[in-house]
Amino acid sequence: MPETPPQGQPDEVMVDLLVKQVTEGLSSDEQRELDVLDSETASAYLRDFERAAAAVTLAASAGAEPLPAELAQRIARQADGHFAAVTGTAAKVSSLDAARNAQRDASSASPARAPRRSSPKTGAFAWLAAAACLVLAVFGWMRPPAPVETPPIAVTSPAITPAAPPLPPAPRSAAEERAAMLAKSDSVKVTLGPTKDPAAKGVSGDVVWDPATQKGFLHFVGLASNDPAVHQYQVWIFDAARDQRYPIDGGVFDVPADANEVVIPINASLAVSKVAAFAVTVEKPGGVVVSARQHVVALGAAG
Amino acid sequence: MLQRIASGDSAAVRECIEQYGALIWSIARRLSRTPSDAEDATQEIFLDIWRSASRFDASQGSAKVFIAMIARRRLIDRLRKSSAEPPMDPMETLDTLEWTDSSTSSEISMEAEQATRALAELRPEQRQVLELGLLHGLSQSEIAIRLQMPLGSVKSFMRRGLIKVREQMNIQAEGVSARV
Repeated sequence: MPETPPQGQPDEVMVDLLVKQVTEGLSSDEQRELDVLDSETASAYLRDFERAAAAVTLAASAGAEPLPAELAQRIARQADGHFAAVTGTAAKVSSLDAARNAQRDASSASPARAPRRSSPKTGAFAWLAAAACLVLAVFGWMRPPAPVETPPIAVTSPAITPAAPPLPPAPRSAAEERAAMLAKSDSVKVTLGPTKDPAAKGVSGDVVWDPATQKGFLHFVGLASNDPAVHQYQVWIFDAARDQRYPIDGGVFDVPADANEVVIPINASLAVSKVAAFAVTVEKPGGVVVSARQHVVALGAAG
Repeated sequence: MLQRIASGDSAAVRECIEQYGALIWSIARRLSRTPSDAEDATQEIFLDIWRSASRFDASQGSAKVFIAMIARRRLIDRLRKSSAEPPMDPMETLDTLEWTDSSTSSEISMEAEQATRALAELRPEQRQVLELGLLHGLSQSEIAIRLQMPLGSVKSFMRRGLIKVREQMNIQAEGVSARV
């Protein structure tokens, strides 16, 4: 019969389970087995073994290859989204139209419920669907644009550039900047139309883009809020001078909970020669370099 | 740095990516099936770091170990969920591992030096078992098959190896020794 260890000391069964947890993880049965053992002792030893395993890992990681720059940039953007969400600043400053909020279609699919990985086939289909929607968006754009409403507005920041402040900018400044840009004669105004994506239901919006400053603002009503830890919205700018298969990344952004109307600054990652269209997709946190366009929630073509 | 990250300091976040990006990327590549998996895992690990930064306690170890622990947890979780084969043939890469030379490295953490010393004291087969399990994500059963070794021996080598490193790191807890 195995000897019972003194109180606070692990027996062999516990040690074996802990070692397995640290090296390969436990099955649910093994986890249950560990759970019924002395949890305080198990926690203490688990931490020690994890530290030991981490130290071995560190010892073998000398001369590691650097993190790819694109991935580092994505992680930085993801961090911005995460901390903006954690601070809740955007949500706190949002001024919501309660009536509109109540009208929002509760059944419209939140992007959080929608994301799925694309296959090459579905990606190609999505491309065609997106292109078809773009045509529709162009027709929609041909109609006289509705007067742009201003307040109340919540503002989020895609926080793209390394120099971006840790918190989203003040809401009024973004709204005012957008209003000023709208008043400029050389700015480009584009109406965004929804797509057939479930997450796009009830979404309306527009973009104003200033070619001189290479800045712009998205304005959305009814775009579902998102959990930045699960997914983020990403803006794409189609440049007439570039291959349309590779639009320019305009940054990722979040829609705070209960924010029915948002204004989002656009920060193009590359210079835009001539704006042809804008698109907004749902992507993994931090965004992607090339979108599979699995979830295109808004599109709009410039004239 | 981790305390600053916990308070949402964006400069600290970028310092962290710069300072630990290579380390995490290196661990993720080794314990992921494909480069794409490694990218996803790296993003998830950094997200875990942002979320856990406030829990860092310098008295419990270095930031490097804290971060490596977070990375390992996430990667093991991903490996289990995918129930996948290990990402690469570990036998091909064992020789390519760049182990710390504690006499020359100025960047490596004290814990890594201690681990290196502990590993040096292990028998070759013990060390091999530990490397395949910890650095290449092979399960004990997979190691047994690969090394044509009884599963009981693999478990024993793994356990003793980890305990040896733990002891070398001066983690003094009663009850567990290399004799277990």
